[in-house]
Amino acid sequence: MSESRLLGSGWSAVRKNIRYVVWFWLLSLVLARLGSSAFRNQVGPVLDNSMYADRLVHGFNPVTLIELLSLPQTGELRGLTVPSYISAALFAIATLLLVPGVLRQYTSEYRVSRDEFFRTCGRNLWRFVRLALLYALIALPVAGILFGIRAWLGSLADKALEELLPFWVGTLMLLLIFVVMTIVRIWFDLAEVDVVVRDQNAVRKSVGAGFRYTWRYLGRLLGAYVGISLIALVVLVGGIWLWHVLVPPSSVFGAFLVSQIMLGLWLAARFWQRAVAAAFYMGEMLVSPSFSGFRPPDMGAATVSAPAAIANPS
Amino acid sequence: MHRRFRVGLLLFGCLGNSAFSQSSAAKQARSEPQSLIPQTTSAINSPKPMSERVVWYTIDAKYDPSKHELFGSEVLAYRNSTGQPLDHFPFHLYLNAFQPKSTWIREARRIGTRDVGNYDKWKEEDFGSDEIESFEVEGMGDLTSALHYIQPDDNNKDDKSVIEAVLPRAVAPGETVVFKIKFHDRFPEAQARTGYKKDFTLAGQWFPKVGVWWHGAWNCHQFHPTTEFFADFGVFDVKVTLPQNQVIGASGIEVSSVSNSDGTKTVTYHGDDIHDFAWTASPRFKVGEDTYQGTMGPVKLKVMMQPAHWSQETRHAKILKETLEHFERWYGPYPYKTITLVDPLGQEAGGMEYPTFITGDTNWWMPDGLYLPELVVEHEFGHQYWYGMVATNEFEEAWMDEGLNSYTEVKILDDILGKHTSVLNMFGLTAGERDIQRASYISVPDLDPMTRKAWQFANFSSYGGVTYGKTASVLLTLEGVIGEDTMQKAMHVYFMKYRFTHPSKDDFLNTVEEVSGKNLRWYFDQAVSGTQVFDYQVMNMTALNTNWYEKNPKEKKGETIYESNLMLHRKGDFQFPADVLVKFENGDTVRERWDGQDRWTRFSFLKNSKIASAELDPDHTIQLDRNNFDNSLTRNPSSAATSKLTNLWSFVTQTLSQFLGWWIA
Repeated sequence: MSESRLLGSGWSAVRKNIRYVVWFWLLSLVLARLGSSAFRNQVGPVLDNSMYADRLVHGFNPVTLIELLSLPQTGELRGLTVPSYISAALFAIATLLLVPGVLRQYTSEYRVSRDEFFRTCGRNLWRFVRLALLYALIALPVAGILFGIRAWLGSLADKALEELLPFWVGTLMLLLIFVVMTIVRIWFDLAEVDVVVRDQNAVRKSVGAGFRYTWRYLGRLLGAYVGISLIALVVLVGGIWLWHVLVPPSSVFGAFLVSQIMLGLWLAARFWQRAVAAAFYMGEMLVSPSFSGFRPPDMGAATVSAPAAIANPS
Repeated sequence: MHRRFRVGLLLFGCLGNSAFSQSSAAKQARSEPQSLIPQTTSAINSPKPMSERVVWYTIDAKYDPSKHELFGSEVLAYRNSTGQPLDHFPFHLYLNAFQPKSTWIREARRIGTRDVGNYDKWKEEDFGSDEIESFEVEGMGDLTSALHYIQPDDNNKDDKSVIEAVLPRAVAPGETVVFKIKFHDRFPEAQARTGYKKDFTLAGQWFPKVGVWWHGAWNCHQFHPTTEFFADFGVFDVKVTLPQNQVIGASGIEVSSVSNSDGTKTVTYHGDDIHDFAWTASPRFKVGEDTYQGTMGPVKLKVMMQPAHWSQETRHAKILKETLEHFERWYGPYPYKTITLVDPLGQEAGGMEYPTFITGDTNWWMPDGLYLPELVVEHEFGHQYWYGMVATNEFEEAWMDEGLNSYTEVKILDDILGKHTSVLNMFGLTAGERDIQRASYISVPDLDPMTRKAWQFANFSSYGGVTYGKTASVLLTLEGVIGEDTMQKAMHVYFMKYRFTHPSKDDFLNTVEEVSGKNLRWYFDQAVSGTQVFDYQVMNMTALNTNWYEKNPKEKKGETIYESNLMLHRKGDFQFPADVLVKFENGDTVRERWDGQDRWTRFSFLKNSKIASAELDPDHTIQLDRNNFDNSLTRNPSSAATSKLTNLWSFVTQTLSQFLGWWIA
């Protein structure tokens, strides 16, 4: 399966199942709103009856924001940030727990029922937790080593006379880190699909399979993942530009709309990557002779038809 | 003889009342100790000297940039204008501050500094030193062995930043004494705006410098992280010998540049009516030159940029010219023939002032809408007035140079870049320099008065917030009391009256009172000498219908009379008269004045409309209030700001969520 077909198949799966993007976006929004409620409760009494707050409505003066956050009435910054951190962590955990259901859909030709979705999530809950732990065991040291190398090269570049050298070294290293971490991400995305499709209890086998196929098809997979990331970057830059150009400073709704569209598109980009992994799995891994002992999971009435899935990868 | 040297001599001859004639004057001074310091004017656009010249430094320095070492020979002629015999002379040896046991390092570790964050990782090769190898007084012989270090501020016996010479006989009033000093500098890795970084050198505070006889005693403080400098006016003739590949810039005017046979060159500078001398060198400077037509004559602008910043040369030159023009128009003439602006390598040497020589601070990525380079250049040039010419004691009254300069910085940047956009104006984000100054003050409003000696502040934040931010805010608030034009006139009068002198607090405050014709001690006592905190509040407001006693009272728009009550509260201990603008629902406005003497006051209004809002200081002249959010109150709340900020906060939270979701799950 070529890179463009991978992208096409992946996008098709995302588009057909756009409800997942919407649900995850809603979940992130609700959690973020809960995480921001402490902030709202603290700053509201200071701002709502103050004419000085206009400096934050008609335009945006960062010094005024700093002044606001340093007021005793606003409370300690920690009291405002911790709820946000918690809500972000909850979203990550929720993603971890709900992704099996999404992958079940991306590897099926039919519409997965709500029951099946959650059964898949439940069945794979501890497997995905184990996968996440394995991922952390690999990704954290790799990232730590790479960032360490970056710091070391940065300190060497700092000694050079050329002032821009540290910047270029730092930037190139960041790109390298991004590529390496994307490879690790692909590896574990494939492992996640494998766990779901093969109902694999021994996640280490899925991790091994994911590793082998990631290396074997690295160019195509990496190209697809990096391409999607670049699209997400364009969305970011374009979104900020639109926010700046189209939305008047005082338009709360306009800012909300643009920012949420950006966030929704980022989510879609990540789901696209997962769908690419699923399409690749169904098109390349599952049909491979080296894959033996395929056993469709017992998911009740709506059990996936393995041969059909193999024959017609989405 | 090299051609450039001949050209140099020719120029010397043409200068008439020039630096060259000082050589003979120098000889004369040394052979006749009673003679005066030279009255040269080649470095200023004035036919006669502008200061009472006390010192004449003639320095011959040889610098080795590979070792960051300098060997110097200094001849200092000092005219005793104190009116009394002097038999001991203190000298600053500033570079000795960069030693592990010095007062500078001890205090930097205690209260912080803007430079080296962690001195535990400070290496020995980064230390600095200034050693006197020999010390001779003309007519009195070699007194090297009679030198001893003194520690007038903290008695730290390990501090060697001040050395004292006791002479065998006193120097009579009016007599000129000549010191001949050989010294050896080792520059530190750049910090406190001196030293080296890679191939760049900023030589500040690099030679033994005599203290100032001030208010009946020697004023020669040790070097502290929060202190700057104080010195007498005079003449500087400085030769710097260094490798020919080095591009050099310095205080004063360049008199000659001669290539030597050993691969070095000797560059000679001359300065009139200045009290310090700094220079910089790097093989990679790119230099831009321009001329500004000042009110006293042409001023040569020299901008020395790092190669990676060369695209910002125009930006630097532009703000330098605009600043110069504003200072001349508002405060007084710039008399020097040169101003050199150096773009240093690294922040440690950035943002510093020496006479006719300043350093900026920028980065290669500096966007157009972020005006930090403009801010720094304006500020450092401002020091040519508040420090360079009005030479206050930076050790003891730091607010008088840094604070006054921060005030004029706000005024000038307001005029050039806009009141609310003078620091930041990009992507819809805006900030003005007055906002920054106020913010730095309100974070530390009550620890120290402005008049605290610089090294006695509670910590570095308080020093910065009070010395810079509070002073600027105090003077901006003062504009509301005496008027903006009167304040500008007072600054002009103060400059013209005290340029080339060492004024102190009362000289400035008295000038403001004289020009304004107002007794302002009530304000100065609180704002300048005190630590009172300014914090006013619109406490609450109510609107009561007056026909409440009627059966089934109905409110009729435009007919029902309401008693609107407004309470103002002085939360802090700073007393200040303030206006309040009251708006009613029918559009009527009432302006009241509160003297701020009591803790609170109430205003009541009987009108056929309810009170809608009240705003203290509606003209926004008060910069000192620590909390501006409670200076106004609206009866009907608006959640626009809260919603906007909550959306932003939520957006950031969601972005973080997605980042975690992307890379972890």
